[in-house]
Amino acid sequence: MNPIIETQALTKVYGANGAAVHALRGIDLTVDKGEFVALIGPSGSGKSTLMAILGCLDLPTAGTYTLDGRQVQGLSGGELARIRNEKVGFVFQSYNLLPKASIVRNVELPMLYAGVGRKERRERALALLEKVGIADKADKLPATLSGGQKQRVAVARALANEPALLLADEPTGALDSKTGAEVLDLFRELHQQGHTLLLVTHDPSIAALAERRVEIRDGLIAMADEAEPGAHPAEHPVRVGR
Amino acid sequence: MSHSGAFRERLFGAWVEIRENLGRSVLQAIGVLLGVASVLGGFSISDSQRKRSDEMFVKMGGLDKLNVQPKSAIRDGRPTALQQANLGLRDADAVGGEALKSEAIQGVSRQMFTRSRVASVYADQDRQVRGIGGDYIPTNGYGIAKGRGFSNSEMETGASVVILGTEAANTFFPKGDAVGQTLRIGDIPVTVIGTFQERVFRFRENQGNQFWWRNRIIAVPANLVQRRMKGDAYRRVDQVTFRIPDLSVMSGFAQQLKNLLKTNHRLQEDFRLDDVAARVRRRQSQGDVYDIIFLLSGVLALVGGGIVNVNIQMAGLKERVREVGVKMAIGASGREIFKGFMTEALLLTALGGFVGLFLGVGFSWIITHSIGIPLYMTPASFLWAYGLAAAFGFLFALYPAWKASRLSPMEALRYE
Repeated sequence: MNPIIETQALTKVYGANGAAVHALRGIDLTVDKGEFVALIGPSGSGKSTLMAILGCLDLPTAGTYTLDGRQVQGLSGGELARIRNEKVGFVFQSYNLLPKASIVRNVELPMLYAGVGRKERRERALALLEKVGIADKADKLPATLSGGQKQRVAVARALANEPALLLADEPTGALDSKTGAEVLDLFRELHQQGHTLLLVTHDPSIAALAERRVEIRDGLIAMADEAEPGAHPAEHPVRVGR
Repeated sequence: MSHSGAFRERLFGAWVEIRENLGRSVLQAIGVLLGVASVLGGFSISDSQRKRSDEMFVKMGGLDKLNVQPKSAIRDGRPTALQQANLGLRDADAVGGEALKSEAIQGVSRQMFTRSRVASVYADQDRQVRGIGGDYIPTNGYGIAKGRGFSNSEMETGASVVILGTEAANTFFPKGDAVGQTLRIGDIPVTVIGTFQERVFRFRENQGNQFWWRNRIIAVPANLVQRRMKGDAYRRVDQVTFRIPDLSVMSGFAQQLKNLLKTNHRLQEDFRLDDVAARVRRRQSQGDVYDIIFLLSGVLALVGGGIVNVNIQMAGLKERVREVGVKMAIGASGREIFKGFMTEALLLTALGGFVGLFLGVGFSWIITHSIGIPLYMTPASFLWAYGLAAAFGFLFALYPAWKASRLSPMEALRYE
């Protein structure tokens, strides 16, 4: 197997000494290439912290983390930025599009940071918007789009540099159930195309769409189950509990 | 980086940011604008003033002159024997002075003045008569309007000829052509052989003619004054002028001349050296003080504006923490964020500075116009004003940009 994520004894401590908060207490997690994993857990469980570390937004206090063959712990801020740029695609609950840049520029931005030339950047961005089904909105500003459309743009942006890992943090949290279902369909499609997906959610019905669920509780992995063999996510009806 | 157009994108992003936050951007630009305008305005006003005084000296006949004039060696009390025996400034001094640096001296002119009754058919006045020698006419900025100048032999022999300034010509010959007429200076009839061009110079437009008295000139050969009006056996003169185009020779020559004259004059310092160029340099160095004052006020405006800008940017940064977080999440390094903020601040400085240049020109025009001197601006003033604004814009942009680049991506993303 070809692991994209491999962590060993990952811990994260905020503060120091008496006031120290142990957000992660030793996480051993492996996600293979092409897997669709749901990270679940109640708020305060440490799943946001874990997501931040897996997304290279933050560094672990101790333990090792290897992302797509690259050791992450101990890297500088600049190197982390580069890894985020090349290997991670983020999709956030609140879309986090840059409001002053057009849709196509939003999608181009990660490629700009990667040093992709102007023409290629524009072509790839338009192709990605085509892929998520909103090519006609390329020159609009994000504010003119609906929530579902914004999230599609966010997905297109996340895919810009063909990342090894797609990290989605409650991607349907701000959407109504219908558009939420559409976005989840998009994720499933991406999974089928071979993308590695890590989806953070507190909603069991969304987590049920994943091949594998990892539950975090009090900074530790409490439960990890495999989806029943043979059951393909596409065969489940999509239910979004609200 | 240029192949990916990153700079272009940053510039575009900065422009969008400026346009979207117009109020804030205008406030920031005003600080720069006023600084640029004040440096440029200050420099230009002082340049205009200086240019005007240069013009005045050129019109007076050039700066490359050293005048020697007699001065009383006796301040109070009775003169000593030596002082009494002293002869004062005389022809010999001019000859000796010329011998000191004959290769550098381009002209020597002796002058001898007298007051006398001057009469024509039309007027009869007590006037100063200027006995001139050598190249007095060109070195003092006079030009012949009608007739001719003195010939060498007329100078040498002290011929009875006169050249009149416009005022003198109009006074003594209000009708008809003065040239060819006869004028009486004291008892001596002299023939008018020429008239000078009118001399006009107004430092400020609305001022009177500062050269009016030069039009009163009644010029005769110095030898005429010396031999037939006021002369003595020692051939004393009222002024000797040396013309030395090479200004680097001037101060050395002045010192040598001083020593020579002191020896000639029995160690009495009964003369005064007036180095015109040095006098102008002193005036200009006073101008330099104004430059420094203007520069300082401009710099203070820029510093004040800069500090205000830092505040505005820090407040603006608070609204943009999340944006920085998003950019970092999708792969912007701290360096990239830093560059983005710097680009924005520098673009604003560039734009504000550009407008400031126009304001500065307007500023200078209004002030020079109101004091009535022509506006004179040098490229150096523009460079100084813009360069200073750019330097301060850069300095004051550093802190907010550095702050933004140091944000933690995770905390920035969660910032509400």
